[in-house]
Amino acid sequence: MSAVFDIMLLVFLIVTALAVARAKDLLGAAILFSSYSLMMCLLWQHRGAPDVAMTEAAVGAGITTVLFLVAIGRTTRREK
Amino acid sequence: MKKAFVAALLILTAMPLLIGVAALPPHGDPDTPVHTHISARYLEEGREEAGADNIVTGVLLNYRGLDTAGEVTVIFTALMAGLAVLISHKKQPEGDAAYDAAEAAAEDAPVRAPVSPVVSFVVRLLAPFIALFAVYVIVNGHVTPGGGFQGGAILGALFIALTIVLGRERTRTLMPRLAQPWMQGAALLTFVGVGIVGGALTGYFLGFPADASLHLARKLMMLVLEAGIGLGGAAVFATLFLQMEAE
Repeated sequence: MSAVFDIMLLVFLIVTALAVARAKDLLGAAILFSSYSLMMCLLWQHRGAPDVAMTEAAVGAGITTVLFLVAIGRTTRREK
Repeated sequence: MKKAFVAALLILTAMPLLIGVAALPPHGDPDTPVHTHISARYLEEGREEAGADNIVTGVLLNYRGLDTAGEVTVIFTALMAGLAVLISHKKQPEGDAAYDAAEAAAEDAPVRAPVSPVVSFVVRLLAPFIALFAVYVIVNGHVTPGGGFQGGAILGALFIALTIVLGRERTRTLMPRLAQPWMQGAALLTFVGVGIVGGALTGYFLGFPADASLHLARKLMMLVLEAGIGLGGAAVFATLFLQMEAE
């Protein structure tokens, strides 16, 4: 069960990473990147590193996404 | 041609990496140097030696305190570099080209809508609880997972959420202009301060007293360090957000 959960998370991780790289809409890319961080956070927690998981959730899924959104708000939404 | 070159380059880079990974010891193998050399000592004696139930905090603040001080310096330097870029960006000459670029950007950018009343209400309702949780994570970092970095990130996120909902005029009092440089450098300053106190007690910079009689001093030093890291981290995120959002 534990290995199945790990593999599911890893598959999601790879899918979101590829989707971020391919996305032309930067707003979508920022949101996908946030979900990537969330997967990573669950993976850290599942591998027994709750300290890193907390940092990932707060910084990766939270603050970097906000900073990305602010940056997109001040520039353009589409990749050129 | 170009695609073939890229593919060849990818394979050439991936091969040594994969060979290196294949040569690593299996995950969780107890006989690797990592587990036989120093981790065993941390796990067996860390609680008494470092004075923290959460062994991660014990390693971060006590055994590897100097590394954490270096990490805090890196974060502070990164903030300064970010501010330098953002501020120099703002002082660009206002030529025709700059005007056109700004015009194009404004057309392309999403229209800033007023904050929805639901979001506003939920953020204001949850703010005290988030603040309490952040302080709990910072203060309790030596017992449960968490610590200065994590709590600081939560505090910074709370500040950002409040600034979005209430506007920067209302949250300005949380980070007065005069206190800003001190808050941004709080983590580094606490490390220097606690380091000197540790030096006075043990003779080594950032040394933690191991005597049972100085147990309270050691706990206090860790608490002050955690609080400094938390405040400094929160200030770094808040400043980055405020500067990026500034008109």
